[in-house]
Amino acid sequence: MNSQVVFLESLFLLVSAAVAAFALSHKSQVSDKAMSYLLCAIASFAIAASFLGGSQIVGYETSAPLMLGVFPLTFLLDGLSRFFLLLLSAILFAIGLFSPGYLSHLKGKISGGQYWIAFFLLALSMFGVVLSADAITFIVMWEVMSLSSAVLVASDHTHQSVQKSALIYLGASRTASGLLCGGFLWMHSLTGSWNFASWNFAQHQAIFPALLILLGFCIKSGVWPFHIWLPYAYPSAPATVTAVMSGFMSKIPIYGLIRILIQGGLSSPEIINLMFVLGAISSFWGVLFALVQNDLKRLLAYSSIENIGLILLSLAISLKARAASLPLIADVAMVAAIFHCLNHGAIKSLLFLAAGSVDAMAHSRDLHRLGGLAKRMPWTMACFFIGAFSICSIPPLNGFASKWLLYQSLFKSTLLFGSYLDRGLFLTAICLLSAVGALAIAVFVKAMGVVFLGMSRSHTAEHAVEASPGMLCAQVLLAACCAGMGVFAPSLVSQITKIASSSTRPITTAPIDFALPIPLLAATLFATALVIYLLFLQSSKVRTFKTWDCGFGPLTAKTQASSDSFAQPLARIFRPFLKYETKATISGRDRRHFPEQINVEVKIVSILESRVYLPCLAVISYLARGLAKLQAGSIHLYLVYVCSTLIILLALGTVL
Amino acid sequence: MNDINTDVLRSCSHWILFVSSIAILPPVCLTLIRKTKARLQSRIGPPLLQPFYDLIKLCRKSETVSSTMSGMFRLASVAGLATIILLAWLTPWLSYKPWSPSADLFLIIYLFALARVFSLLGALDSGSAFGAFGASREVTLGLLVEPALMLGLVALGLFCGSSDLRMIFSYPQTIGGGAAAGAGAAGIWLLVGIAILLASLIELSRMPVDDPTTHLELTMVHEAMVLEASGRNLALIEFAHALRMSIFFGLSAQCFVHALASVCRINTLTQGILSVVGIFGIAIFVGVLESLAVKLQWRKVPEFVAYVVSMSLLAAFVAAGNGGIKL
Repeated sequence: MNSQVVFLESLFLLVSAAVAAFALSHKSQVSDKAMSYLLCAIASFAIAASFLGGSQIVGYETSAPLMLGVFPLTFLLDGLSRFFLLLLSAILFAIGLFSPGYLSHLKGKISGGQYWIAFFLLALSMFGVVLSADAITFIVMWEVMSLSSAVLVASDHTHQSVQKSALIYLGASRTASGLLCGGFLWMHSLTGSWNFASWNFAQHQAIFPALLILLGFCIKSGVWPFHIWLPYAYPSAPATVTAVMSGFMSKIPIYGLIRILIQGGLSSPEIINLMFVLGAISSFWGVLFALVQNDLKRLLAYSSIENIGLILLSLAISLKARAASLPLIADVAMVAAIFHCLNHGAIKSLLFLAAGSVDAMAHSRDLHRLGGLAKRMPWTMACFFIGAFSICSIPPLNGFASKWLLYQSLFKSTLLFGSYLDRGLFLTAICLLSAVGALAIAVFVKAMGVVFLGMSRSHTAEHAVEASPGMLCAQVLLAACCAGMGVFAPSLVSQITKIASSSTRPITTAPIDFALPIPLLAATLFATALVIYLLFLQSSKVRTFKTWDCGFGPLTAKTQASSDSFAQPLARIFRPFLKYETKATISGRDRRHFPEQINVEVKIVSILESRVYLPCLAVISYLARGLAKLQAGSIHLYLVYVCSTLIILLALGTVL
Repeated sequence: MNDINTDVLRSCSHWILFVSSIAILPPVCLTLIRKTKARLQSRIGPPLLQPFYDLIKLCRKSETVSSTMSGMFRLASVAGLATIILLAWLTPWLSYKPWSPSADLFLIIYLFALARVFSLLGALDSGSAFGAFGASREVTLGLLVEPALMLGLVALGLFCGSSDLRMIFSYPQTIGGGAAAGAGAAGIWLLVGIAILLASLIELSRMPVDDPTTHLELTMVHEAMVLEASGRNLALIEFAHALRMSIFFGLSAQCFVHALASVCRINTLTQGILSVVGIFGIAIFVGVLESLAVKLQWRKVPEFVAYVVSMSLLAAFVAAGNGGIKL
C-alpha cells in the first residue's frame, strides 16, 4: 500500500473521530465505554499506519479550504516522527483499555462530555505536533494541546486545589508558548521561512532564538528550575490524563528539541552547556524531592522531572560530542535519549495507571493511608513493581538499557575528550547519576513498600479489591512492554539507530552496538532463581504465625514505619536542599514512660517556589495593580482608548 | 585435536575450581573473621566449618512466616540469592574464572542494586518496624556507598580504557600494563583497592558502620532486615550475604594483587593463589578492625563514607587526568 495513502487516511480518521466525539459528547450521557473503544480503535489504526509506512519520508500540505489564512498546514512523516507516533499510539491504546473501568469510579466527579472532547482534542493535537513540519502548524497544534490538557487537568474543578493546579499549569504553558512564539518569529525574520527544514541554528545570530526555543521547551517538559507546575498538575488530573501527560506530552518538547534545534544543527557551546547543567540538576532535584513526597502521584511527578533531566543530559552529551567531532559518542548518547523517551513513556504511563488503580480502589493516594495492598490487589502490585524496578534502572528491564547507554556515552566522553575541564564535568556527571540511581531506589522502594507491603494503614485500604479486568489488561500490556523492551534491548537499539539515521536529516551516523547480552543474563537469572526455589523453598515446611512483636501484644498498622520515617535518614542528609525539619511533641502525664499522644510533624519547603516564584508573582501582581486603573468600567473611557489607539496606529502607519 | 582436549580440560577444571570456590570461600571468610575476633578476645572461637553447620541446621528446620506477609518475602530471598550467584559468575573477583558473557562495571553495580532492592522489599513485607528501619538505613547506606564504588571502578576503567571489568582485570597482562606501568599504576590500583574495601564494610553492614554481633536489632541494619526470616529462607539469605562479602573482598584483593603486579612480575598461578590468599587476608583484617574499632554513631557514618569517596575521587581524577590508554 502506498504509504502516503495510509498517512492521509490516518489523519483523516483522526479528524473525523475527534469530530464524532465532539458531536456525541454534546449529549448529556456519554458512554465511556464507546468513547474508550473508539480511542483504542484509533490508536491501533495509528500503530498500523506508523508500521505500514515503512521507512519512507512522506510530506503533505493541505490545500485551499484547510488552510490557516494564507498558510497551508504542512506535515512530515519520517522515521523520527513515526517512532514518536508509535509510542503515543501505544500509550493511547493502553489508556483506552483502562478508561471504562477507571472512569466508572469517577462518576459525579468529572463530566463525561467535557472530558472526552478535551481528551480527543489532546490526542489529535499531539499527533499534529509530532507530524507538523513548519512553525505555524506546530504552534497551532501546540496551543490546542496545551489548552485541552489544561481543561483535562481541571476535570475535577470543584476542588480548590485542582483550580489552583490548573491555574499554575496554564501559567506555565502560556509562558512556554510565549517563549516559543518569540523564538519562532525571530527565526522567521532571520531565515524568511516558517519551515523547520530551512532553519539553520549553526549560524551565530541564531543563538538567541535557540535559547528562547530551548527555554520554552524546558518549561513545558518540567526541567529544573521550571518544574514547579508538574507536581501540581499531575496529581490533580485523572490518572488517564496524567498517564498521557507524563508518558507522552512531556516527551513532545524533547521531540521538538531534536526536530528543531538538533536537526537544525545547533552548535553553540553555551546553549549545549546550559542543556547539560539543566539536565543534570533536574535529574538530581527531581529524585530528591520525590523522596519526601507522601502523595503517590506527586512522587511520580517528581520522578518524571528526574527522567526528563536524564533525557536532556543525553541530548547535551550528544551535541557536545558532535561538536568535538566524536561521532561514536554522539550516536550512543542520541540513541540513549531517544530510547529513554520510549522507556520512560512506557514506564511512567504504567506507573500512573497503577497509581490510578490504587487511588480508585483504595480511595486514597496518601501514603499514610495505604499499605498491605499486596494481598488485595496482587496484579496491580506486580505491574507497579515491574514499573518501579524498571524506573530504578534495574538490569533486565528497559530502564536499565537506556541508562546503560547514557553511562557508556559519559564514560567514553571522559576517556576521549581533550580538555580536562570537560573530562571533569563528565566524571562528575557519572558520580551524580549513580547518586540519582541510588536515590531512585530509595524513592521507589518506599513507594512499593508503603503502598503494597505490610499492614493496611486505613479502613479503605483494608477493604480494597482488585481493579477491573480492563484496567489490569492495560497495565499488564505496558508491563510486558517494559520487560520485553529491556530483555530485547540489543535488537531494539539497532532499530532505533535505523530510525534515527533514516529521518529527514539524520541524527546518528553509524549503527551502534549494544554490547550487553541481556537476554542471556535474564534467562540465567530466572533459571537460577527457579532452581533455588525448587531445591530449597518448595519442599520446606511453613508455619504461619504473627510478626515478631517483642512480646508486647499485637502490632498495629501505626507501629510500622511510615513514608516519612522511611525517608527520614536520607532526608536528614539533604536537609540544606530540602529545608527539612522534623518536630516531635510528646504529651501525657507520665510522658516518658506512658505517652498519651505523640505528634510528629515533618516540614519541607520548596526553596524555588517560596523564594523565587512567589516574590516574582508578587512583583507582577503589584505592577498589574497599576494597570488595573485603566479598567475604569466607563464605556466613555474605553471609547477614548479605542480612538486613541486607532490614531496612534494610523500615525505610525504613515510614518513607517 | 590434542589442543582442543587440553582447552576443554582447562575450562572444565576452571569451572570445577570456580564452583567449589563459590561454595567454600564465603563460609570460610565468615569463620576467619569470627576466629580472628575470638583469638583477639582470648577465646578459642568456632571451628573452621561452623557456618556450614549453621546452614545445614537451618535447612533442617521448618520456616515460620508472618501472616502479614505476601509472597514477596520468600520470593525476595530466592531472587536475591540468584542475583548474587549471577554476580559471582560475572564479576572477576577471582583470578581463575571461567568464561562469562560480560562484566560491564555499570551492569555489575546495577545488579548489586537489584539484589539490594530484593532484600529491602523482603524486609518491608513483614510490617515490622525492625525490618522497615533496617531497610531505611540500608537504603541510606546504599546511596552513600554506590557513587563511591562506581567512581572507584570507573577510575580503573578510565585507566585501562574499557568499562568491562574482564578487560580491566586482565590489563596488566596486555601491552602497556604489567611491570611496565610502574608505580603510578600501582598507586591507582591501591587507592581503588582501599576504596572498595572500605565501601564493602559499609555495603555489607560490618563495623564500624554496623555491628553484626550486638543483640539489639534496633540499632542494626542487615540483622534487622532479616529478623523475620527463619529456616531455609534464612539459610538462603545468610549464604547470599556471605557470598556477596566474598565478591567484595575478592574485588578488593584483585586490586591489591594488580598493584603488586604493576611493580613486579608475577605469573598466573601465583596470581590465582594470591587472589584467594588476599581474600583471607582481608577477612582477617576485618576481624582485627572489628575487635579494635567501635561502632560509629549513625550520624557520623556520612563522614566515614567521605573517606571512601575521597579515595575513589582521587583515583578517578588521576585516571581521568591520565586520559587512559586509547584503544
